[in-house]
Amino acid sequence: MDVLLAILGQFGLYGLLTVGIAVIFAATRVVNLAQGDLAMTGAYVAATATAAPFGLRTLLALAAGAPLLLVVERLLLRRPGSDGLAAMLVTWGLGMALRQGAELLFTGTSRTVAVPVEGTLDVLGTPYPTYRLVCALTATAVIALVLLAAHRTDWGLRLRAVADNPAMAALLGTDPRRMRATAFTLGGLLAVLAGALYSPVLAVNPSMGFGLLVPVFFGLLLSRPGALATAAGAALLISTLSVLLRTWLSDTLAEALFYAVVVAIAALRSRPWIGRFSAWFRRTPAPASAA
Amino acid sequence: MVPSYPRARERRMTPALRTTAPALAAALALVLTGCQGAALSDDDAPATGGPVKIGVVVPLTGPVSQVGTALRNGLELAVRKVNADGGVHGRPVEYVVVDDAGDPANSTQLARRLVRQDKVTMLFGTITGDTAEAVGRVADEAHVPFGTAILGDTEHCFAYQWGFGESTRQMLTPTVPGLVRKHGTKVALVGSDYNYPHFYAGVAGELVKKAGGTVVAEEYSPLGQTDWQPVIGRLKSAAPDTVLSMVVGADAVTFAKQAQQFGLLTPKIGFEGASLDADFQPALGPLVTGRTHTVRWSDRLDDAESLAFVKDYRAAHQWKAPVPEVAGNAYFGVKFLLAAAEKAGSNDPEAVNKSIGGLSYDSPLGKGTHFDAANHVLQADMREVTIGGDGAYTVTRTHPMVTDTTPKKGCS
Repeated sequence: MDVLLAILGQFGLYGLLTVGIAVIFAATRVVNLAQGDLAMTGAYVAATATAAPFGLRTLLALAAGAPLLLVVERLLLRRPGSDGLAAMLVTWGLGMALRQGAELLFTGTSRTVAVPVEGTLDVLGTPYPTYRLVCALTATAVIALVLLAAHRTDWGLRLRAVADNPAMAALLGTDPRRMRATAFTLGGLLAVLAGALYSPVLAVNPSMGFGLLVPVFFGLLLSRPGALATAAGAALLISTLSVLLRTWLSDTLAEALFYAVVVAIAALRSRPWIGRFSAWFRRTPAPASAA
Repeated sequence: MVPSYPRARERRMTPALRTTAPALAAALALVLTGCQGAALSDDDAPATGGPVKIGVVVPLTGPVSQVGTALRNGLELAVRKVNADGGVHGRPVEYVVVDDAGDPANSTQLARRLVRQDKVTMLFGTITGDTAEAVGRVADEAHVPFGTAILGDTEHCFAYQWGFGESTRQMLTPTVPGLVRKHGTKVALVGSDYNYPHFYAGVAGELVKKAGGTVVAEEYSPLGQTDWQPVIGRLKSAAPDTVLSMVVGADAVTFAKQAQQFGLLTPKIGFEGASLDADFQPALGPLVTGRTHTVRWSDRLDDAESLAFVKDYRAAHQWKAPVPEVAGNAYFGVKFLLAAAEKAGSNDPEAVNKSIGGLSYDSPLGKGTHFDAANHVLQADMREVTIGGDGAYTVTRTHPMVTDTTPKKGCS
């Protein structure tokens, strides 16, 4: 039970960030390297606007993040939009600017955020900090909502269309520029939310987001572009792997093995027979649902 | 005082800084040395070997810049005080500050330049272990004494390097028996996974055994760990009475916070280590309130000299937070070095180095503080401070003359 709860807690954080980065990647084909630093920004809002209750601070972080992300997309990402590498560099620069900005504003010293829900809860006989559970469940609910939106709404359909074939989607009447702007904002907001939600569990400092980037990047690597459910699945896989390894082994060994396993999975996945097998596996139910 | 950011972390978190920082540091260094050189070389017509000149290598930019700045501030005030009291050999002491941005490659270059071009009598500064070692090597090559103010335990001992910070043994020797007596015999050790915490755990384990306790768990986690649940779970299952932690940097905060959330750190359980450093008090607040911590110097010491220094520091830098321990160590360290230079009777670095090794000096750090020849660790007092809810580190006990004479290789 302990392990399951740990996986859930880890998944909430990685899942929000990975689904966010996958939304952005789907619409823009850009790996948003500022994802971790956007989470850091969210955490700083939660750490500094202490006059408001925690829930309000989280909303405030989102409200402040949305226009910022829109402006960044409009001013910085629109131009190099077609050039993936240039756009990726722009996001790298954005992350760096956020980090250095936070260091100037708040210095490099770590801060903490008071836990909004104190105490521990008994989950099937295992005592667990209540807030961890609350934030893991909130995060999971948000991920479920995003997945639902991607598969059950018009917007989701268009997002998946743009991800599959942007030129065709544009011909069929989807404005790819608008799609890119909304996807970047939504994906970024998921990161801001992750940062704000998890701030009471972590130490808030300018470089906190940078360390989150690696597992999230692996999650994106293991997912299929445009299929957000696979991104959530990849995040779950990564959380499970990391928690299980760290439960069985010492942390140092677990980390080394974690990277080895993830790289092995990524390498295996690119084998053609696996691709064929999984494609066949995916397509089987398609006629049934179309009928 | 433990360096809050070990080297490995810096490298990871500011890859871009690494390319710009050396250029920036070089430019800054030029400006700094240029200015100082011009301002100070007016009376540079040495009849009896010229004034004593200190070359200061500190990170004023980059991740450890806050600690570096505190060290420089302490040194500046010490020089000002010594000069107000008549200087050394009747002449005012000079100093040149250069910024190594916490990168050992810069430290080596800058230290060499200070020795060759600025012809300094002694070197002072550095925060992280790797930069200290870089300057230590230069100092040894050039036969120029070099003082540090952070943790006396560098991996290597150099004949010309002298540490004014406390050594790991000095930190733990007065602490461990008390913790075992007060909380119980079962001690858990936890640390970030790089060489210093392993060394710390080695010393701690030895002292725990000596005090009649047992080490029930020993855990390390890579730097930058965000989820401590597995480690805390393993520590908890060992049911320790005391947790000794050398989890450093931002991780010190994450670890302590999560350990409290999972019920490992209750007020009943003893807790000592990097998380109790004054840097983290604002973040950890109630978690550390009421606990005791062992330090060499605290701004709450009530002797006249410390009080005057704290007053000057606050006035000079509009400083409201507690004055960092490293500033105090630097202040009294520089005064020690300058007293040795005065006693040497000349500015010859070799003569000064010899004088440092033989000097016995009274200061708020202790009566008759001196260096042990076998390890170049300053033999001095340690203080037990109790952390108040308002962030004050009040001195509650003095451990007079805590010696550490464990020999190290390379000292002579």
